Amino acid sequence: MSILGRSARRANPPEGVPLDYIEPATLGVAVELLASDEAARPLGGGTALMLLMRYGFLRPSRLVGLRRLASDLGGISVNDRHELRLGALTTLRDLELSRQVARSAPVLVEALHIVGNVRVRNAATLGGHLAHGDPHQDLPPILLAMGARAHAVGPRGSRWIPLDQLNLGYYQTALEPAELLTELALPVQPEGTQGSYTKFTAVSAEDWPALGVAVFFRRDQDRLAGVRLALSAAMDRPQRLAGVEAMLDGERPSESLFQAAAETASSAVEPMADGGGSTAYKREMIRVHVRRALEKTMRAPALRSG
Amino acid sequence: MPRQAGRSLRRLESHAKVTGTVEYVHNLELPGMLHGKIFRSTVPHARLARVDVAAARTAPGVEQVITGQDVLSIIPDPYYGPAFHDQPILALEKVRFAGEPVAIVLAADPYAAQAALDLIEVEYEELPAVYNEVEAALKGAPLVHDKLRPGSMFADLIHVRPRSGSNVHVDYRVRRGDVEEAFRASERVFEDTFHTPAVAAAPLEPIVTVAEPGGSGPLTIHSATQNPSFVRGELARLLGWPENRVRVRTAFLGGGFGGKQYIKLEALAAASTLLAQRPVKISLTMDEQFVTITRHASTIRMKTGVSADGRILARECEIWWNGGAYADIGPRVTQKAGFTSAGPYDIENVSIDSYAVYTNLPPAGALRGFGVPQVNWAHETQGDRIARELGMDPLEFRLKNLLRNGRPQASGTILQDSGTEEVTKEVASAMRWAEPLDCGTGTTRRGRGVALAIKAGVTPTTSVAIVTLAGDGSCTVYAGTVDVGQGSQTVLAQIAAEGLALRAEEVRVIHPDTDATPYDMGSVGSRSTFHMGLAIQGATEQVSRQLIEMAAPVLGADAADLELYDGSVVARGRGDAEISFRELMATRFGKNTGTLVGSGSFTASYDTPDPDTGQSDDVAVFWMIGAVGAEVTVDTETGKVMVQRLVNVADVGKAINPLLVSTQLSGGALLQFGYAMSEEMRFEEGQLVNSGLAQYKIPTMLDMPKSVEVVLVEVPHRNGPLGAKGMGETGTLAVSAAIGNAVFDALGVQVKELPLTPERVLRAIRAGAGRPLED
Ligand SMILES: Cc1cc2nc3c(=O)[nH]c(=O)nc-3n(C[C@H](O)[C@H](O)[C@H](O)COP(=O)(O)OP(=O)(O)OC[C@H]3O[C@@H](n4cnc5c(N)ncnc54)[C@H](O)[C@@H]3O)c2cc1C
Repeated sequence: MSILGRSARRANPPEGVPLDYIEPATLGVAVELLASDEAARPLGGGTALMLLMRYGFLRPSRLVGLRRLASDLGGISVNDRHELRLGALTTLRDLELSRQVARSAPVLVEALHIVGNVRVRNAATLGGHLAHGDPHQDLPPILLAMGARAHAVGPRGSRWIPLDQLNLGYYQTALEPAELLTELALPVQPEGTQGSYTKFTAVSAEDWPALGVAVFFRRDQDRLAGVRLALSAAMDRPQRLAGVEAMLDGERPSESLFQAAAETASSAVEPMADGGGSTAYKREMIRVHVRRALEKTMRAPALRSG
Repeated sequence: MPRQAGRSLRRLESHAKVTGTVEYVHNLELPGMLHGKIFRSTVPHARLARVDVAAARTAPGVEQVITGQDVLSIIPDPYYGPAFHDQPILALEKVRFAGEPVAIVLAADPYAAQAALDLIEVEYEELPAVYNEVEAALKGAPLVHDKLRPGSMFADLIHVRPRSGSNVHVDYRVRRGDVEEAFRASERVFEDTFHTPAVAAAPLEPIVTVAEPGGSGPLTIHSATQNPSFVRGELARLLGWPENRVRVRTAFLGGGFGGKQYIKLEALAAASTLLAQRPVKISLTMDEQFVTITRHASTIRMKTGVSADGRILARECEIWWNGGAYADIGPRVTQKAGFTSAGPYDIENVSIDSYAVYTNLPPAGALRGFGVPQVNWAHETQGDRIARELGMDPLEFRLKNLLRNGRPQASGTILQDSGTEEVTKEVASAMRWAEPLDCGTGTTRRGRGVALAIKAGVTPTTSVAIVTLAGDGSCTVYAGTVDVGQGSQTVLAQIAAEGLALRAEEVRVIHPDTDATPYDMGSVGSRSTFHMGLAIQGATEQVSRQLIEMAAPVLGADAADLELYDGSVVARGRGDAEISFRELMATRFGKNTGTLVGSGSFTASYDTPDPDTGQSDDVAVFWMIGAVGAEVTVDTETGKVMVQRLVNVADVGKAINPLLVSTQLSGGALLQFGYAMSEEMRFEEGQLVNSGLAQYKIPTMLDMPKSVEVVLVEVPHRNGPLGAKGMGETGTLAVSAAIGNAVFDALGVQVKELPLTPERVLRAIRAGAGRPLED
């Protein structure tokens, strides 16, 4: 499970200091409020933060509620590069129900159906999901494999962070203190892309993943092209497996190729044990589910342009 | 008017429950009430060098902070518990598990109380700790208790012989025949060791108590407890007061499952309210519930000798119960599950040793089944191994050895009025056992399994009931039975209505309130319909007799010719001569006045077992007999098991309410389904690492068996109300083993430890294939 990590990013205030809750009306004020207090924290949907506070892993002195920023940080649209632009305050439920997302990122929608439960998805925001840094989440490996970028605004200005640079480790992200995620840009996937996400839960169906596998590729004649494969939940952060992608790219799909890719994947990472299984079991599950994910992607519909 | 017994009446409170209007103690707020938040030990075993609450006492909003020393000022001997008086209200010299209450902060604002907990400083001198039940039972293990404190409340526990100088605080045994000799005579001898983990009851309404000091009236305890009468007695004992100065009442409980049995928060709430002289509410978080009470983890060694044709000649069971730091009702679990641990089989030579063991873990108590789900897992899993190795059909093996009416159980008590043959026949037919099952060949395998169960109804216990008829002829039942969600209010109303020829909907059953309802041992161990049902029958007979005596002169009829029908007394064979209860009351007391009172009680019989052999002529008030069938699919690459069918067959004696009986059985089966498949409290160095429902996984709808079926068998009990027997636990007992046996059928390998997580199953598959999962 995922809530036991203590974030090293910010100091805890002295015990007994009462909590201050503010909802700024502009992004600038929000950043200022965060920058002026070491132990302040932004609050998206609160589904992760409230649990961390309840368990005593975090004791912020100030919560900066973001919901009044919805006009800047919300919404789903297409930017001038034809990328899907997803506001950081968009709830997971809004993403799940969006036609636009369904059209250009059907794999994301498929995964969203099984993120936690509908009550969590109604509250949880995309920004909170990414900033949380919990390796046991479903969307990061998909977004990583799709080549997404996150936009952040902080006291020192704004920047784009490619998703493969966002997660630094267990509950650690590249976000500076007082830096806020504002949106996510999802590049157009090449015509003909097939993709899938495989979530394996070990204990109950409605659970954080014990392993997540996201796969995308195209088929160029009878060969695989543009292969992107990312794993999550077995390691301290979601990761693309470049070695596995390389051994699949340009090859003819076959049972033995997928088997070999699965073997390579399972030895490419050092899985960490958790409530979902031991290291040995997770390694075995990588072997099984990478193979199954590749097979499943072969059966997935190809994306049409538009 | 329909017969009331046998009606599939929906629970009378259904509408109120779904519209949110029933009372739960959890929602109770009183004027001037304080909230108590508990400071808990962070270490599993330590001497308390210093408990410093000075800073917390001056924290904003805090009214009072109470430590174990403060409790001594009003309760000089503050040790409580149903079997042993071993649990201090707040820790005194030592803490014995991580999570043990050390101090309580009282504040009007629960958040202020919670915040002040951070200001409490405790210095621990850590002691060596012991967690595993087998290791804790060894000589030389660190002692959790230096001194044993046996209790005296329950007759069936008086003979338990505590052992000193050991963590084994109860050492219960059964000896029948000569197992050693029989093992020598056996064709094959099988020996296995089984494990079950600690699991949580996790009722959604927390364990919660509100206490009021009472002033000139009684100390009043509003509590979500399954045992109000016991709580009253225990508080009176602690305080040195007569019982009539303590009032304990309950409302509906949002689940209990054993987690709210006997005494939990009540002593702490009582001490707090008496010291603060204000009402105090203590309501646990889910995480706190996990360290308050668990179901025993267990290790069970089972050795069985069989003849070549599959007769069980001897069985030896050795069971270690991980009792945690305080005995709670563990001694009864040790005894009750102990004497049925050889299963529902007719075995001449039986030897059972059942040890209650203290460890430095949270206390363990009863959780739907009183230990039988653990021992059942052992004997039914081993049963399938024996059958397979002898080349016998597992059902045929069971039939061959089945305990039948008229034959002695391992305790020596003769089985009677029990449907062992009937449930076995029904499970075979529901599972279409005679037809072959295709187990498949690819990575998805199918399998099916059965398991049989026996549990003894706890004895001797008492229930007392009062039934009244008001001036308008309406009927009220005063019963101490707690409706924990099982529907007792409805069934007891049906029994009273049956006795007075009313409709159950017209009868009101009041919630336990020891100021009004007479003694009842508690809503535990599937006993309420049987015991309270009989007490109510006695009470309605008294009321009925009074009505008939009153009506005879009025109707000019012979009392012998009168009977009750639909709210009236009618003269048999003379259709027009009748008088309604209301009119009858008026003839006696005047219009709309007066009360008729009837009372009844039932105390079950008991023959104290011989302490050396466990032999007794009368050790069970009734027997709970069940059979479970399961059909599974297993993903052989991941080890994931999906239960496709779960069939639960139970002998209920007589289904007074078939609908409620069926939902009790399926509910019990699904509770145990979680313990079979996913639930497991994981401890590291005595610290619970998966408390709360985010991390401790209860099955969701998507995990449930595709099909959950219930089959009722009715073999009437000669003493039961209308032939009924208890069945609240029957549905849980054999679920784990039936699923495990289906997995065995699918894979040809056995898992001997619960729960059947994918990893555990995959490891068994790989070990069986000679390719163990390398760590
Ligand atoms: C019961 C339950 C089940 C779950 N199951 C799953 C599951 O199956 N799969 C899965 O993937 N996830 C699961 N989750 C996790 C869930 O996806 C995350 O909790 C959620 O996405 C976090 O979003 P939030 O808006 O609620 O974040 P918050 O709780 O508001 O914040 C999370 C973190 O991000 C920071 N933050 C929030 N917004 C921003 C921002 N815009 N910029 C910078 N920092 C920010 C906060 O300060 C905090 O540190 C589950 C959660 C729960 C409670």
